[in-house]
This record gives sequence, C-alpha cells and structure tokens, in this order.
Amino acid sequence: MSAILSIRNLTVRFGGLCALNDFSMDVAKGAIHALIGPNGAGKSTVFNCISRFCDPAEGSIEFEGSSVLKRPSHDVIRIGIGRTFQNLELLAGMTVLENVLVGLSRRIPNYLPFGPSPRRSRTEAQAVRDAEDILDQTGLRPYRDHLAGELDFGRQKLLDLARALAGDPQLLLLDEPAAGLRNREISFVDSLLLDLVRKRGVTIILVEHVMQLVMSVADRITVLNFGQKIAEGSPNDIRSDSRVIEAYLGRPSHA
Amino acid sequence: MYGELHWRTFAGIAILLALGVLLPLVLPEYFLYLGNTLMMYAILALGLDLLLGWSGQFAFAHIAFFGIGIYTSALLQIRLGVPFIVGVPIAAMFAGVVGLLIAIPATRLRTVYLALATYAFAECAQWVFRTWDSVTKGSDGLRISPPDIFGYVVGTDRRAFPVMAIILALVLLSLLYLTRSRLGRDLCAIRDSEHVASASGVDVKRTKMVAFVLSAVFAGLAGGTFTLFQSFINPDSVGLAQLILVLTMVVVGGSGSIAGVLVGVLLIGLLPEILRAAPRGLLVWQEFAYGLILVLATMFMPRGLWGVAKTFFARTPKSAPTAAKARQPTS
Repeated sequence: MSAILSIRNLTVRFGGLCALNDFSMDVAKGAIHALIGPNGAGKSTVFNCISRFCDPAEGSIEFEGSSVLKRPSHDVIRIGIGRTFQNLELLAGMTVLENVLVGLSRRIPNYLPFGPSPRRSRTEAQAVRDAEDILDQTGLRPYRDHLAGELDFGRQKLLDLARALAGDPQLLLLDEPAAGLRNREISFVDSLLLDLVRKRGVTIILVEHVMQLVMSVADRITVLNFGQKIAEGSPNDIRSDSRVIEAYLGRPSHA
Repeated sequence: MYGELHWRTFAGIAILLALGVLLPLVLPEYFLYLGNTLMMYAILALGLDLLLGWSGQFAFAHIAFFGIGIYTSALLQIRLGVPFIVGVPIAAMFAGVVGLLIAIPATRLRTVYLALATYAFAECAQWVFRTWDSVTKGSDGLRISPPDIFGYVVGTDRRAFPVMAIILALVLLSLLYLTRSRLGRDLCAIRDSEHVASASGVDVKRTKMVAFVLSAVFAGLAGGTFTLFQSFINPDSVGLAQLILVLTMVVVGGSGSIAGVLVGVLLIGLLPEILRAAPRGLLVWQEFAYGLILVLATMFMPRGLWGVAKTFFARTPKSAPTAAKARQPTS
C-alpha cells in the first residue's frame, strides 16, 4: 500500500527543548497507525505540526503528494485531514448539533450574503440532516440539543470525534480518543474506528495510552520517546521490542 | 443556531413595527424620546454583542464607531446636504471601513491586550472629535438639523419613533439571519475554541475580521439613528460612560443572545427613570447602581438575566431528552 502521509525529518524546538528530533514516519493508506510513547514524547507535537498549530524547525509533511506545511491550519481539513483533541477542546457553549454543524463547515458555502434565500435554506437543511446522521452513528442523537459542555466525559469525547468526522476526512488524527473512558465505551470507539476504516476507507493515526485499544485495532505502531522514534512495526513486533518495553511498557512483569 | 426563523420571531418583529406606528399616537413626547433612545442603544448593544458575546472578542472600540457614525451622518447632512437615507448607510459603511483597519491589528491580539488596544482607539477617536475644531466644532458640539426622508420631516421624537422602529426591525432581522448562518456558528466556534474552529475549517482570522467590520457597521448605524431624534452632538456623548452603559446592557441582559441583549437594554435603559421615580436622594446613586449591577451580574449570572431565565424555564419541561421532540422542522 502507498503512503497517504509521509513525514520526513521533522524537528520541532520549543526554546531549548527539542520536542521532536529528526522524526520520520509513513502512514499507509487505509491503515490504523498508532503513535505511542510516554507523556511528553512528542506525540501531540506531531499532530500539531500536521494541523499547522505548530511550525517545525525542519522537515516536511506530505499528504497525498502535496505539502501540508505550506497550508494555513483552516485549510488542513479541506485537503482531507481531520483531528480530535486530547484535552476535551469542545465548543462547550454550543449544542451537540451545532458542534457537528461546525464540523460540516467545509461543505457549507461561505457566509455572505447571510440573508434568506432558497439555496441557503436547502444547504442548511441538508447540513442539519447530515449532522443528524453523524449523531446517529456516534449514538449522540438523544443529546442533539444539549450544550456540549453539559455532556458527560465519554460523550464529550465522542462528540469531538463526531465533529471531526463531519469534515469527511480521508485522514483522521485521533488524540487519545479512549483516555478516561470506561471499558464499554472503549469497545464502542474500537468498533467505530474499525468501521470507519473498513467502510469509508479512512486512514487513522491514533495517539493512545490505552493499550487494549492500540493492540486490538492498530495495523502498525510507531513508538516515540523524548522526541525520537525508537521503534516501528506491527503490534506483535512492538510487544516484544526490548527498547519499547524498557521505555514505555515497563518491565516484562508489568507489561 | 441553525434552521429557519420561527413564525413567533416574525410575529415579534411585526409587533415592534405596529408599536412603532401606534405608540406615537398615544404616548407623550417624553416617553417617545425614551423609546427612541432605547432603540438606538439596542442597535448599539446588539452590535457590541456580536463581538463580545458571539465571537468572544473583548474589544471596546465600539463607542468610537458609534461616534464615527454620528459625526459622519451629521456632517454629510450639514456640510454636503446629503439626505438621511443616503447619509446613514454611508456613515455605517465608513464605520465599517475604519472597523476593518482596526481589525487588522486587533485580530492579532487577545484578551486584556485586545481590550486595552481597542479602548485606546476609542479614546483616540474621542480626542479627534474633541480637537478637530474645524470639522467637529470640538467640545462646543454640532447642531444637527432635522432629517428629511422623502418629504417626511423628522423634527420631533413623535415623528422619529416609527423610523427608529423600522430600522431596529431591519437590524433584528439581519442579525437573526446572520446568527443562524454558517457565520453565526463560526463566530461561536471561535469564542469556544480557536483550535477546534480552525481544525474544522473555520478561517479564524478572517471570521474575526468579518465580526469586527459588522460590529462597526451596526455601531455606525446606531450613530446614524442618533441624528434622527437628537438635535445636538458633542464628544461627551461618545465617551467611557456610554461604553460602560452599553457594556452593562449586554452583560446584564445576557451576552451572546439577541433576546438577552434586548432585555438588558430595556432594564438598564429604564433604570434612571425608575430611580427618578424613587425619593430624590436616590438619583445621585445612579452611577453606583450601574457599577453594582455590573459586578453582581458578572458574579452571579455570567450568562445574564436571559441565561438565568432560560435555565429556569428549561428545567421543567425538558428533563428527559426525546429525539422526537428535539426534531424541529428545518425546511
């Protein structure tokens, strides 16, 4: 399979701290590629570079052959890269439906004129229907008109995912979608992700600490530690890699 | 916000227009003056809320755009004889252009820095109004002649009232559509999280600029309506006191909500009248009352009176979410 995203020699420095050092990674089309590592290893920094929230000192990121680094952050979803956020960055003051509608922005023509028109009514009505479909898929439909900030933790995580899905991304960056979820919720996310990949052909990069999820869904795993790539391979390779065990999973008796 | 406008909204606007025509037949001149003032403040406050409540930008240049609106429409009329109906849109556009110039640096600033920089601009504008004697007549102020709209001479509050009602109705309609469009949602998204907005495809900087410009246009329009029922303008009308007054209206009523802002305008606008009815000694406490209300409102009802009312009424019928009930006609 060909690479949909290739990161080459990415280096990010925050002041004196080197958050990422000469990091390269290829993500195969249609794969679930997990990116794991201890806290502060640079996983979110990789995401922030792809989303253009953060400028690398060196390196390149190519998505389907075109440079991502040349684009402003609001363009990243337009070329087909969506993302979720680690720390529940939601549109807390907006309803669940409105959150998904914002996610659909890509498909709604730009603002002006904002007056009444038949075309506007049609696109808005269509957008609401699309948003409701996504709420159905993620099981959030009953909470359609609730404020996002009032949902429980697990549903806020799901809503973040639903909003990202609304942008119809080819590549989805998921930043700890299962963190803090209960087992039942994790298996729901698990099946949702597998569905996305199998039915819609979405490619996923998954940053996650919940090994249960990583090991069950990932096709390939890249391990980061202190901004350096220390291992890459299939879940089985990673499970038995001594450097990974040492850096991340702990001693064999704990793993 | 999303979906089509509810018929009740249109009914509300029809009532506003009807009152605009009927009230001048019955009310004494003073009450109509009060009504005109409130309607002008409503346009001003709604424009400020677009930035403050909808987009979460703590920008305080608003009163300057109001001043630009007043002086531009007054001067166009006095110096060039431009009729009201042409002069006011030009004034609003001009305020919008200045708003765009302010937006360029302002969209790079956040929080307290944005607040200070925009407030500094408001002070500068007031200084210009005060010192540019040859044009604004400085502190002496300008006398505004009564506008003439297609032969309808607005010389009194009674005759200004229906015109104000029409302008306010147009402002409300355009705001209702605006907040229900993608733009309205983009503004809220920026308020809640610039990262999420940006990752969802919202051009944060451009959307903020649009918000600044629209907000300035509304302020300029409010300034234009000032010339409709006031016969005199001096720089004291566009200072810190007015800014605080409008801010209080927005915050107390409920920022980020059109209805909330209208409640705030009514309440805070009528406060001096209520205090006036109270024993004479109380009037001196007016400024103190504004301050106290602002402090209490921010402490105990961050979403304003309207927010309190909404949660109070929402609690009873909407305890369990039902998909059927939540579904609203959208086409």
